[in-house]
Amino acid sequence: MVPERAFTHCRGAQLRIANMEFRDYYKVLGVERAASADQIKTAYRRLARKYHPDVSKEPNAEARFKEMQEAYEVLKDPEKRAAYNQLGANWKAGEQFRPPPDWGSGFEFSGGAGRPGGGSRGAGRAGRSRAGAAEDGAFQDQDFSDFFSSLFGGGTPFASAGRGAGRSAGRDHHARVGIELEEAYRGTTRTLELRRPEVKPDGSVELRTHTVRVTIPAGVTEGQLIRLAGQGEPPSGAGQAGDLYLEVHLQPHRLFQLEGRDVTLTFPVAPWEAALGASVTVPTLGGAVEMHIPAGAQSGQKLRLRGRGLPGQPAGDQYLQLKVVLPPANTPQAKALYEEMRSQLNFDPRANLSR
Amino acid sequence: MVTHRLEAHVLGEGDWIAATEICQLCSLDLGAVMELAELGVVAPREIPAGQWQIPATALPRLRVVGRLIQDLGVNVSGAALALELLEAQRELERRIRSLERLASDH
Repeated sequence: MVPERAFTHCRGAQLRIANMEFRDYYKVLGVERAASADQIKTAYRRLARKYHPDVSKEPNAEARFKEMQEAYEVLKDPEKRAAYNQLGANWKAGEQFRPPPDWGSGFEFSGGAGRPGGGSRGAGRAGRSRAGAAEDGAFQDQDFSDFFSSLFGGGTPFASAGRGAGRSAGRDHHARVGIELEEAYRGTTRTLELRRPEVKPDGSVELRTHTVRVTIPAGVTEGQLIRLAGQGEPPSGAGQAGDLYLEVHLQPHRLFQLEGRDVTLTFPVAPWEAALGASVTVPTLGGAVEMHIPAGAQSGQKLRLRGRGLPGQPAGDQYLQLKVVLPPANTPQAKALYEEMRSQLNFDPRANLSR
Repeated sequence: MVTHRLEAHVLGEGDWIAATEICQLCSLDLGAVMELAELGVVAPREIPAGQWQIPATALPRLRVVGRLIQDLGVNVSGAALALELLEAQRELERRIRSLERLASDH
């Protein structure tokens, strides 16, 4: 299994990253290079409404939205935008790129909480550890591309200018973790790759990957947060490291539909099983169980298996939604049986229509 | 490569979280959390010393509200309305899928 990747914040000296692809931030937002700040904001807002992961049904909405956030993080900030523009207009998206050796020199940084881009969404809002959206003046690049990190991430003048003076505690970091329904039922483990900066003897900083194995207990539900204490941003001084939060996303299941802790299974039954009752074997998240279908059951009727949903206090239930499936009349014997029912049963399925 | 094993703490039923920590986790300010309480999106409890706590079960909804406010530029009541409409939409989609499964041949 490929480990999930979470990214820690980079700080300190210049970050060295090998080759990476150029990103055309103007193209991402669909604006001209000469676009005004208002045009950029409008373009971002319009695209954000279309691709926001909480709202959008577009394919790859999350990836597109991250691209837009990254582009907006740069283009909304006059300093970053000016520096980005200095790279020149001849780069093409996807082209191999390395930052210029004198990157960031020649700029004056406004710094502090009031720097452009930091205060535009209202004062007093708490810092945000999700990529590119911190509101205390220091952006976070944990989810952004290597291209962004090399130009504007930790270790660059753009990042250090935005840090509040005297802050020593590390920030919290957030990542999403996808979990299968069976794993949520039983509990599971995940291997995470955390990328962290490490100072080399020559003073440069390299991203080093270290791997952690996380035990996720049974019974997690959609959107729940898992806290890994001390696994967020390292402190800059004697303060505490931030925490790493994993947001749970349960993958759609082939058979079961989830609602809270309850699961529903559409359960096909033969007409005679519905009419006469039957003992059947039912798949559940915890394994197959025997169950009795009561006589006279109808299509669409729901039966409950108490406590067979996701574990919790209280545990969820499993519901069977019965679906009566007709056998095809594709053999002489089957046709004969249907004809016998027609002649023997006094059954009018449209009795309600003639009242 | 060294692999460290970490125990995870799931923020769930029974956990109450200080309003200030909720603000950090959901990218909301305290005023927004109180406004969401007034709108009925979350039900905080007051503990001695005038502190407020929020049930951890409210976190997923509050985090959506926080993201909508930050990313789309809507205000608190707009985000609360969007949250409720999104939840209603998902419930309708769930019911439609359920009915489609009943109606399908397989």
